[in-house]
Amino acid sequence: MSSTIVMKTFAETDIIDALIIGSGAGGAPLAAELARNGKSVVVLEAGPAFPATGHTPDEVAARELYWLHERLSAGTNPQAFGGNNSGTGLGGSMLHYGAFMPRMDARDFHLHTETGKGVDWPFGLDELLPYIERVESFIGVSGPAHYPWDPERRYAYAPPPANSAALKMREGCDALGLRHADGPAALITRDIEQPHFGTRHGCANCGACHQGCRNGAKSGADNTWLPMAVAYGAELRPGCFAHTIERDSSGRVTGVVYRQNGVEHRQKCATLVLAAGAVETPRLLLTNGIANSSGQVGQNYMTHVSTQVWGEFDEDIRPNRGYPSLTITEDMMRPKDADFVGGYLVQSLGMMPATWGQNLARSTTTRGPAFARALAGYNRSAGMGINGECLPRPENRVTLSDEKDAFGIPKPLIEHSYGPNEWAMHHHAARLLTQMWEAVGAKDIRVIDRAAHMIGTCRMGTDAGSSVVNPVGRSFDIDNLWISDHSIFPSAAAANPALAIMALSLRTAEAMLKA
Amino acid sequence: MSHPPDRPEILDSNHLSARTHEILTSRLSVPGTQPRTLSLQAYAVLDALLLVLLPLDEILPPGTDIAMTARIDAALSGPRDGWRFADLPPDAEAWESALLTLDDVAAEQHGLAFIHLAPDLRGALLDAVMDGQIGLEREGRLTASQMKRWSGDLRGEVVDCVMSDPRIQQALGISSSLTGGDTVFQGFTEVGPDSRESFEPKATAPLLQMAESSE
Repeated sequence: MSSTIVMKTFAETDIIDALIIGSGAGGAPLAAELARNGKSVVVLEAGPAFPATGHTPDEVAARELYWLHERLSAGTNPQAFGGNNSGTGLGGSMLHYGAFMPRMDARDFHLHTETGKGVDWPFGLDELLPYIERVESFIGVSGPAHYPWDPERRYAYAPPPANSAALKMREGCDALGLRHADGPAALITRDIEQPHFGTRHGCANCGACHQGCRNGAKSGADNTWLPMAVAYGAELRPGCFAHTIERDSSGRVTGVVYRQNGVEHRQKCATLVLAAGAVETPRLLLTNGIANSSGQVGQNYMTHVSTQVWGEFDEDIRPNRGYPSLTITEDMMRPKDADFVGGYLVQSLGMMPATWGQNLARSTTTRGPAFARALAGYNRSAGMGINGECLPRPENRVTLSDEKDAFGIPKPLIEHSYGPNEWAMHHHAARLLTQMWEAVGAKDIRVIDRAAHMIGTCRMGTDAGSSVVNPVGRSFDIDNLWISDHSIFPSAAAANPALAIMALSLRTAEAMLKA
Repeated sequence: MSHPPDRPEILDSNHLSARTHEILTSRLSVPGTQPRTLSLQAYAVLDALLLVLLPLDEILPPGTDIAMTARIDAALSGPRDGWRFADLPPDAEAWESALLTLDDVAAEQHGLAFIHLAPDLRGALLDAVMDGQIGLEREGRLTASQMKRWSGDLRGEVVDCVMSDPRIQQALGISSSLTGGDTVFQGFTEVGPDSRESFEPKATAPLLQMAESSE
């Protein structure tokens, strides 16, 4: 945060125009936009304010950026949380996200119309595109001069240099006749003065994006939207865990009770925005028993099919160096030989050693000297991974477990099982990526079956009977309650969610200003 | 310049921030002689299990001990990673129960405590756990399906402990901690294949010596 701006503060008795729970991709753009338009804004963030210079590439210590309130994972594909999921601290998950920033494919907005499966969004890409472009322009996104799947698209920053995995994936694509490009990455590759923040330096190729960017190159909420919000008079309150939503006799929200340093506080507000993510947002609604006349709160939890395929090469790869996931192909968004609906993006993967080792350890049962030799192969390893559509399914959901957390609130139980479509996509990707690695001489090829990201649980739609919020994020049940995060996505789409979350956040802010 | 085996050279690099230096250095000391989380019995089973799960003698210089058992036991009482399998009890309890289950099964199958089994028998029991074939249906113990789940947690925890150790990073030639210093944030200039920068460690692990010498 820029030291030249003194943050405005509000009293708990002030009736804040917009009280926002969560300071990540969902809450931060909206906070900035509402404050810029003269609204009083307070952002409650459960985690601390991390100084960027204090981030460490040490993966065990860097888990401080993850949401560490325990979640219970069930289903036939119980999902690992921590990395690739919820974050904590001012800036939310964008503190540790990988900054891979593809746009949603226009077809993914209308998957049901196209295939009879999944769910349509209540609008198309043309509606969201202006907001997407505003986000890209404001936070800074790098990309190629020519994007093969969208020739009109332009990026303001040149791509970072291709690391070993990115170069190997290019070769693999060439071998199989697939198009490839440098992918859109939310990082800057030259020094700039970010409005309301200060100097952000160009990417130094350190490779530790997931452990927190130390020089401001990665475009997060902490170095873009949040300083803008503060400059326009918003107050950010870190260390505040919100748990109770208070309402008047008519059912409208009047304030929120939160705990800070062990003490309960109560903030009054005229409007409440939940931006706590696809687990904590429904958990708040479920524990408070509100906004659920549709019965859809917590339902249709989705992820991305995130199959990875790793191989060992003869060269010294050093997968920790450089932007981890530069090369992209969008050629699998609707593959001709698909036995599934929807599609997937493929990206190259470098990785830090403990994360890489965890994947290896959990996807194999090797032991003894063979396990040691496998881990010793780190410096010769390169990977590719996918992000693919995951259909909404009734058995996948967030509910409240019987176990209480340290605050006395039920821990969330997340049930996640792949259906036939997810398995078909996984197998398709495993075959294709294995062929690509074989074509360029990789050895000891290893397929890792995994899911990442968290989507859905408070679906938006036009029908109050089957949706939690309307197409601009407003609760059907409580007119001064809004949701601004990936929980409102009706379908998962293939693209990494951060860009669409931010675009929707700006759009919801606009709707709130008109309301 | 010669370094004692327990003092990896990467700790002297100016590509290391002060905070990262402190974190890595803290891993060189053993976190005490008494278990913090596990019972003495479970701790001893874990110690005997790690030797067959992930022996490090082909990676580390002779005589180097990274105190995996003590560090894992201590980590179980520290901050965890924010989730667990719903069908397992909380981490510390799951580990205690899993290790005691192994000990009971060793006694039932071989008439010996797990720690007294020959390494090949310990390894065979571990394989059976990972295959979902070993478990006990009684209070304070884990079923076969729970044991299989837990074996993934075991493997993950061991890898965290190993790959985050500066002696292992040095031995495997891993430069992931060297992202940049506090006054100059260097990052990496070279990111392509076969382009080790001078400040990055070369692998010294015996099992990698063949590969390195042909560089």
